[in-house]
Amino acid sequence: MGAVTLEGVRKLFGTLEVIKGIDLTIADRELVVFVGPSGCGKSTLLRMIAGLEDVDYGTITIAGRDVTEAAPATRGVAMVFQNYALYPHMTAYDNLAYGLRRAGLPRADIDQRVRDTARMLQITDLLARRPKAMSGGQRQRVAIGRAIVRQPQVFLFDEPLSNLDASLRVEMRSQIARLHRELAATMIFVTHDQVEAMTLADRIVVLNGGRVEQVGRPREVYHAPANLFVAGFIGSPAMNLLPARAEAGALVLALGPRLDWPRIDQNGPARPQGPVTLGLRPDRLALAAPGQGAFGGEVVLAEHLGDGSVLHIRTDAATTLTVKVTGDVVARVGDKVGLTADLRGACLFGPDGNLMFTA
Amino acid sequence: MTVDIAAKRRTAPRRIWQTTLYHGGMLLICCIFLLPFYWMAISAFKNNAEIFANPVAWFPDPIRWESVGALFSRDDFPVLQQFVNSCFYAGTVALAVCFSCSLAAYSFGCLRWRGRNLVFGLTVCALLLPGIVTFLPVYLGWSAVGLTGTYVPLIAPFFLGDAFFIFMLRQFFLGVPRELMDAARLDGASEFRIWWQIVLPQVRTALVIVGLFAIVYTWNEFFGPLIYLQDREDFPLSLGLFTFQSTRAREWSLSMSGALFTALPMVILFLLTQRLFQRGLTTTGLK
Repeated sequence: MGAVTLEGVRKLFGTLEVIKGIDLTIADRELVVFVGPSGCGKSTLLRMIAGLEDVDYGTITIAGRDVTEAAPATRGVAMVFQNYALYPHMTAYDNLAYGLRRAGLPRADIDQRVRDTARMLQITDLLARRPKAMSGGQRQRVAIGRAIVRQPQVFLFDEPLSNLDASLRVEMRSQIARLHRELAATMIFVTHDQVEAMTLADRIVVLNGGRVEQVGRPREVYHAPANLFVAGFIGSPAMNLLPARAEAGALVLALGPRLDWPRIDQNGPARPQGPVTLGLRPDRLALAAPGQGAFGGEVVLAEHLGDGSVLHIRTDAATTLTVKVTGDVVARVGDKVGLTADLRGACLFGPDGNLMFTA
Repeated sequence: MTVDIAAKRRTAPRRIWQTTLYHGGMLLICCIFLLPFYWMAISAFKNNAEIFANPVAWFPDPIRWESVGALFSRDDFPVLQQFVNSCFYAGTVALAVCFSCSLAAYSFGCLRWRGRNLVFGLTVCALLLPGIVTFLPVYLGWSAVGLTGTYVPLIAPFFLGDAFFIFMLRQFFLGVPRELMDAARLDGASEFRIWWQIVLPQVRTALVIVGLFAIVYTWNEFFGPLIYLQDREDFPLSLGLFTFQSTRAREWSLSMSGALFTALPMVILFLLTQRLFQRGLTTTGLK
């Protein structure tokens, strides 16, 4: 079975530590997405699992076998690259067959597997073409086919959709989700696109600076981010993070307003001490008439998305808040507005930046 | 709004002057460089008196084919045998360079190993050493193993690489996407197979360029054959022509025919592949 286990995995480039001790278990047939900002180590971690980067410390186990020192081809993994990495001088057929030939499979078996895979991905018509005679989407399907044809235990995807246009990306995303169901294989998917992460993942691994910040199901990561980094990174537009001070049954924001929050109990277990941070998703703030609501401010930027708008509002205390409103709300840059806050789903982070509880 | 297609497109006057001046200057420089070659070519079709006639005849009248015919029937200048020798010498060196230097360039450009940049730096440093510095110990070495008088000392070193061509090919190898090699590793290919089946096909143009440079270099090589070869039948054209000119100094027309015959293959090669030559020069920053 294709379970993947990482224990104390570290990686150094010279003296620079880029992966700082990662412990992670990915279950068989699970689709796990690594997300994080550029340079957080997600692609390096994927390449370490593939065997393309050496592991300096720790062990990697695939299907119960320690593969830390194993060659890439013997790990039972296949990888789809961001730029497809199709061999330009070979036809699609030869691209698919190359790995099977290296494995020494009989010619008839290779032909059978290549044609079965091509049928599954609807690329039979492309088999005689070279990569330069294909569109981006076709190349991507051939690249996925090259991974599938080897029948690996684990599929690794390194930002495979980032070179595609928006509509093709949606199509390929659904195709990958379908393949995951049909192949019932373990998949690890690296992306910086939160929509891909949220829609594809059984579980999301949020990475930052070579460390795992949170592992959880997409809803869990979105609604209960483990710390301020995850809160700020997951969700578009990002969560508003407001410095505050806790009092019995209420929060006093640094912006000025006092918000009632009965769950805050200075005598109970959820007793915040010191400065805290309130996390509010942009859709939990709503516009009110100027002078009304908890906050007041001025619209400094309005991004109209069709079905809604994202408004950036500079408050009277010179803090900028992001508000997501429906399409029928009309607001222009320079408008004075009031803001009300709905604390349902709000997150409270303690002085150490970790989540204390959600409303 | 419609555009009157009959209207003449305006051109800045300064650009006309610049273009004229530029092309005029280039033409003059070309003439200066081509003049000796033209002189050699027309002299091949004159007799000695016409060659040194005053004023100079810029076109042979009549065109004399005698020396061209005589070129291929002289015992003291076996030009056809020497042409074959030159082809063998240049061709083998080109193949040796493409093989050995592409392997070294693959290692320097595509593989990661400790000390790679240091070793590459030392390799490039070899370019700074003039050949004459190492000539004597190398000659004594070949002499000790009894291989002087053959092409082995002239060809064998190229199977161990050449700093200039390694440097040149590495520049091309750096442009091959790393993901191609990673994909091949995942497909189970060995490093040698990746070099041969995946990377070399991506740098075919570079290999042709390196091969051409090696051919031109070897075709014109004079010092090495002069040191190592003793028999006229073994000489390449460059050395054969020199030997003939030094012993038959008065036969100018025949000398010029021989020089024309020696230079012509390289001129034809250049005309057929000048785009590749230009690309090679711009890649290495040579001029």
